[in-house]
Amino acid sequence: MSETQKNVWEGAVPLQIHLHESEITTLPPPPPALVLAPRIGYLPLLISLLKPHFSSTLPPGLDTVWFDYKGLPLKWYIPTGVLFDLLCVEPERPWNLTVHFRGYPSNVLLPCEGEDSVKWSFINSLKEAAYVINGNSKNVMNMSQPDQVELWGSVLNGNLETYRRVASKLKLGTFEDEYTENVSSVLIKSPQSTGDTDVTGQVKTGRIPVRLYLWTVNEEFDDFEGAPQIDNWDKVSYINRPVEIHKEDGKYFSLNDAVKRILPEFFPENFFVIEGDANINQSGEEGERSSDPGSSFNAVEIAEIKFVRIQGIEPILEIPFSWVVNNLMNPEYFLHMCVCLKVSKANAVQ
Amino acid sequence: MNEKQGLSWSASLFCELRTMSTESPSSVRKVVVHLRATGDAPILKQSKFKIAGTDKFAKVIDFLRRQLHRETLFVYVNSAFSPNPDELVIDLFNNFGFDGKLVVNYACSMAWG
Repeated sequence: MSETQKNVWEGAVPLQIHLHESEITTLPPPPPALVLAPRIGYLPLLISLLKPHFSSTLPPGLDTVWFDYKGLPLKWYIPTGVLFDLLCVEPERPWNLTVHFRGYPSNVLLPCEGEDSVKWSFINSLKEAAYVINGNSKNVMNMSQPDQVELWGSVLNGNLETYRRVASKLKLGTFEDEYTENVSSVLIKSPQSTGDTDVTGQVKTGRIPVRLYLWTVNEEFDDFEGAPQIDNWDKVSYINRPVEIHKEDGKYFSLNDAVKRILPEFFPENFFVIEGDANINQSGEEGERSSDPGSSFNAVEIAEIKFVRIQGIEPILEIPFSWVVNNLMNPEYFLHMCVCLKVSKANAVQ
Repeated sequence: MNEKQGLSWSASLFCELRTMSTESPSSVRKVVVHLRATGDAPILKQSKFKIAGTDKFAKVIDFLRRQLHRETLFVYVNSAFSPNPDELVIDLFNNFGFDGKLVVNYACSMAWG
């Protein structure tokens, strides 16, 4: 296991959690709670820590716990680290959240019954990822009950060793790391053929489950303090599109390549440049678009990647995507990427 | 009786979407959703619907809740997993659809843990 994976698992977001003023019934008001929330964890998992801190001041009623940041209700099924990367206004530390024990906004948020809902969501995401990788979810569905309990427990407790032992039974594997492989083949000069390059020089290394949180801006900003903040979930596109690592003529597949491949509606030129495999990429599922590219791209939006944030870092876009996947993915086998695009309308040059 | 009335009312929402042409390049891409009952869940009179790809999976779940008059429903794709209700129908179709449709199974009790 890599140092980076350990860092991801040990990564935490410093939170200062305030009780919403409408729920404070005592004087003086309770002080905010300071919590280090694991990046790979979920906000409802903090309830058992927060409840004792605030319980004595709450008005009578049943608990339906939810969180907001500057008035925006936070989606509980998104990992805490992703919420932070997406929403926290720089350079705010600790991150100031508000907790509510009453008045669940069921028009904005999915119902949540604490840890059970989070576990259900996690296991279903894992099954979905397995389906993307293997074409079915059998390995997850056939997991024994003790293994499932242990796997979930390892995520709850941030125990990477246990996680790796149990998750290895799912046979979802790591993705071919072309970067490391290239380095080692140069160093060792292995006499054996690498065995995974076919005659055409292109290798498909399987589909990688990606959850991409896309946010577009129109105006220029130079520093993060100037970045417009997200105050409404309608401004974030929640995109679930797997990406395949393609190797071409010794050129590695970069993070930049991956983002552009996931978002062809913003980077259409990508499909015209790589003519050779355009048909493979767009066969069947994207058939309508490929059959009539002209009509779709009359008024193309010119997009520029402002930043890609994954696990709290902004990797340079030239980094090999295989490294990103193998080191920065979350335990449910999804790679979560926060992507900010600057978009300006322009007429396409046909 | 009431079941039938509920069905036709809910179905009309989808019919409205269906009347839009799928051929026009400017219209939103439509996805055929095939709803299949699992276990003791009632079978719908009409099982295939067209829905805009830009809609969230939540719309499919709400539709089924209204059809079946049940608050608690378990809804799966390909008898395998329950997608997050925020996922877009077009993403689910592209990732998990086959034979030109997205197969959605529904059950009144948990079918696949």
